[in-house]
Amino acid sequence: MASIAPEIERLRALRAIRVTLLELKWLRAATRFEIAVRRHALALKAGFNADQPRVPKGSPEGGQWTGEGSGGGDPQRNPKNDPPESPDNRPSNSRTRTTILKEVARRILRTGEDVAAMARMGIWLRTYSAEIQTYNDPPKSLEDLQRAASTPAPGYDIHHIVEQTQAERDGFTREAIDSPDNLVQVPRLKHQEINGWYQTKNAEFGWQTPRDYLNGRNWEVRRAVGLEALRIHGVLAP
Amino acid sequence: MKRSFFESMPESQLVEQFTNDALKQFEAELNDEFTKYNALADDIVAIGEELKRRTGDKRSALLPLFDHPNPQVRLMAAEITLAVAPAAARQILQEIWDRKEFPQAAHAMGTLRALERGDRKPT
Repeated sequence: MASIAPEIERLRALRAIRVTLLELKWLRAATRFEIAVRRHALALKAGFNADQPRVPKGSPEGGQWTGEGSGGGDPQRNPKNDPPESPDNRPSNSRTRTTILKEVARRILRTGEDVAAMARMGIWLRTYSAEIQTYNDPPKSLEDLQRAASTPAPGYDIHHIVEQTQAERDGFTREAIDSPDNLVQVPRLKHQEINGWYQTKNAEFGWQTPRDYLNGRNWEVRRAVGLEALRIHGVLAP
Repeated sequence: MKRSFFESMPESQLVEQFTNDALKQFEAELNDEFTKYNALADDIVAIGEELKRRTGDKRSALLPLFDHPNPQVRLMAAEITLAVAPAAARQILQEIWDRKEFPQAAHAMGTLRALERGDRKPT
């Protein structure tokens, strides 16, 4: 019988070439991004604004800037099509960092981008890669989320299904609040989104915040709302 | 804002104010400014009530916002018009969910599920 060793060697070599090609593609994307960011930073320093209107082609001043540009962020934009801004230097302000982190993670979730999107990030943002990756987790069963709560992992938080601060204030025991049945492991950025959802007025609750709606309610109602929050945020499988 | 403020506004201006409020909500959420977000929600609901109060229920003036590029504008327009254009409004909510436009997707799915259960009855 002929030896299969040469065939195995050939397959190994092919795999190594594929891996190298992928690495080169990634490097090219990362380099392009670095160049674009630096060009953008230089242009901003020089007062450049791509949205600033220009004189139409054909006139003597054609192509020259005219009037004032709009400047700044534009919430009218369709976040699906606009790449999130990711400055090269780590913003000193925590709120700015969080805002950028949210935009990047949400974009990756919507578009399914992965390596290319990571390559576009500023270096500081890559330190949050666990948070960005876990934001894309598929929904899981309640048992899986509860089981994972006993093992801390990067990019995840422990979340109380029945909100702990409000429950404690309303007289529920710490024993019930911290029981394994009430604890789940959720992606950190989803955890922040759920906390935000509890604080925002919502048509589903008669334009109250879920937190206001839950004031004075029993444990079962709080738990039902807590589980629903996990479902509608794509953390708990329906 | 007080209701009387909206009473004097023409329909087109109400739609413009509605759009601006929803866009500000989008930014407020990104920046974790929930008090601001909620004050804007009050204005959005008041604009919806004002349009509903007008002869013939003018909430349908918000339907063109279903094509707005910003998901918060589409979400708020769908929520407020559920009673006057139920099928189209539901479709917008479903699209926000399908496109994974979070956090608006969570609100959209919450409403869809509440409608399904019969807990939400738009008027």
